[in-house]
Amino acid sequence: SAMGVAGPNSDLVNFSEYISKNFALYQLSNDGIQLSTAAQANFCRNELAAALRKGPYQVNILLGGYDKKTSSGSLYWMDYLAALTKLKYGAQGYASNFCLSIMDRDYKEGLTQDEAVQIVEKCIQELKVRFLLNQSNFLIKVIDKDGVRVVKFGADPADN
Amino acid sequence: MGDSAYSFSLTTFNRTGKLLQIEYALNAVANGRTSLGICAKDGVVIATDKKLASTLVDTEQVRKVENITDGAGFVYSGVGPDYRVLVRKARKSSQSYYLTYREPQPVSQLVKGTASVMQEYTQSGGVRPFGVSLLVAGTDADGTPRLYQVDPSGAYFGWKATAIGKNYVNAKNFLERRYQEDMELEDAIHTALLTLREGFEGEMTSQNIEVGVVSTTDGVFRRLTPEQIQDYLDEAS
Repeated sequence: SAMGVAGPNSDLVNFSEYISKNFALYQLSNDGIQLSTAAQANFCRNELAAALRKGPYQVNILLGGYDKKTSSGSLYWMDYLAALTKLKYGAQGYASNFCLSIMDRDYKEGLTQDEAVQIVEKCIQELKVRFLLNQSNFLIKVIDKDGVRVVKFGADPADN
Repeated sequence: MGDSAYSFSLTTFNRTGKLLQIEYALNAVANGRTSLGICAKDGVVIATDKKLASTLVDTEQVRKVENITDGAGFVYSGVGPDYRVLVRKARKSSQSYYLTYREPQPVSQLVKGTASVMQEYTQSGGVRPFGVSLLVAGTDADGTPRLYQVDPSGAYFGWKATAIGKNYVNAKNFLERRYQEDMELEDAIHTALLTLREGFEGEMTSQNIEVGVVSTTDGVFRRLTPEQIQDYLDEAS
């Protein structure tokens, strides 16, 4: 599984490393068993909730994962107030104002991987046209039965 | 425990390298009423002899086979009150797991946690080891049926079939002869009852034994009712 995290870099790095190392520890302590995506999401939310009334993590998260047990992928949306919901498609930040309507219209059950990536590319294009900030470099990742891999989109400033 | 006058462990090594308190705890287990378990390919069965001090005791109120999670259960041989403490701790820790992960705790982790608790009591100040061995039945994260034994030392073992308590040697020999790799749950229940009857003092009825079963079809651990036990006993005779 993989997490997209948004927020100030301090909390972002601290929280996501803490979570991912906890998952690694779980796997090591339990004979290689991995937590299901739902369990991972709930663990994450629990950590956000525990810290909320002490020193909150200001991170918004999209967690996506593939479970071999159910042979299906799932997506979870979490915000800095420790809300959690399972979604078919989602967005965090300003992107949601632009992208959710595109996804509302184009999403259907049983999309193939390529169709889904196309919708994501449509969303990115919409942001490039309509969003105030000029963000030229996006990174698309896919999570499936073979794990997590990158599908790049957009110019990498390092190439110029 | 650390700030009392007993901040030293009562379980200490002797000259030959043994922890006598654990040995003695195992003796307490071996004096307890027989319990056994069999792991079939589609489920697990655990059973125990519930013979009580007097016929006046209300056997329905005595519970030796207990649910810990929906999918796992314990049975024991040894000191009953010690068992109740372990059941309570195990139930609490598996609910805590559910709180964090919103998923039931896999049996293997439940066993590790309980074994860890039992080990603590062999290395902490002012406490004695638990006088029970547990048999844990459940289905693991991937749905495989599993049977575990946990000893007073905190050691745990996965078994295909095993027996603990009084007469465990004969019971285990009996199981060794009867056990088959591809046994089905119904056969396992019959074999368990036969094994229990082997060393039973007096007549075995649905009132003086307890049986717990978990099947891979629904992954739910259930205590059999006296009526269900009676049906199995009737089939066996």
